[in-house]
Amino acid sequence: MAMNDKRDDKLDLWLRQRKVTPASSDLAQKIILRAQQVPQIRPVSLWQSIRELCAEFHLPKPAYVLASALAVGLVIGFSTPQDNDLSVKDVVAAQSFLAIDEAML
Amino acid sequence: MATAWPEKDDNELLSLIQNGSSQAFSKLVERHSQRFYRLAYRYLQSREAAEDVVQDAFIKLWQSPALWQPEKNSKFTTWFYRIVVNLCLDLRKRKTPGPLDDGMQLIDEREPMEETMIRAQEQKMLEKEIAALPERQRMALNLCFDEGLTNQEAAQIMGINLKALQSLIMRAKTTLKARLASIL
Repeated sequence: MAMNDKRDDKLDLWLRQRKVTPASSDLAQKIILRAQQVPQIRPVSLWQSIRELCAEFHLPKPAYVLASALAVGLVIGFSTPQDNDLSVKDVVAAQSFLAIDEAML
Repeated sequence: MATAWPEKDDNELLSLIQNGSSQAFSKLVERHSQRFYRLAYRYLQSREAAEDVVQDAFIKLWQSPALWQPEKNSKFTTWFYRIVVNLCLDLRKRKTPGPLDDGMQLIDEREPMEETMIRAQEQKMLEKEIAALPERQRMALNLCFDEGLTNQEAAQIMGINLKALQSLIMRAKTTLKARLASIL
């Protein structure tokens, strides 16, 4: 029993006294220098990215007004129903009119 | 550069790093690089590999500081130990373990030559047997016998409870005692 305790103590001592080869004295400096060459990746929120985009393409205020007016115009233009579709009836009428002209010739 | 930085705790430094402060990063590296190196060395038994792992871990933190989430992790060192351990495990998976660093590094110059040689030999055998232990037992030993880490912290790093950690250590020590019986 005492022998076993002695072995336990010795093993504990060995484990506590495990030697470590010291690191290079400039390890911290090496890491800091390396980090200076690496850009940081930071998560960007949607709102922030929109603001950054606007800052990137900085325009004078009249340009924003013009661009907004254009956008509104496009939206209105595309959302209004158009009457330029030819109905089948119109097509038949036009063809018969042309056919009469051809017969006269 | 970092010596002029006022004393701030790890959490304050990390929040500054998240705002892009390289000065805070320097301070954190200077404060902790040696401690994490010692842990990595115990895993890898190679100075170069251990330094590379510590460097990679810190660069990872610098590149993606958002990885640190104070609300999820109670203590920086506990969280960062896990990162270093994972990098060590990855490296060990990729590489077969090489020979121990130069044996002379294990020698304490204050001891008489014969005693020194015996101790160096014993340490080499101990390291060899520790390296042969199952992964989790080795991790438990490395964390618990690393200075400054309580069993509770080691258990937290490994993601297990205290009893499971104690059981791992006990099994590791039993195996070591059996394998090193001739010199213990």
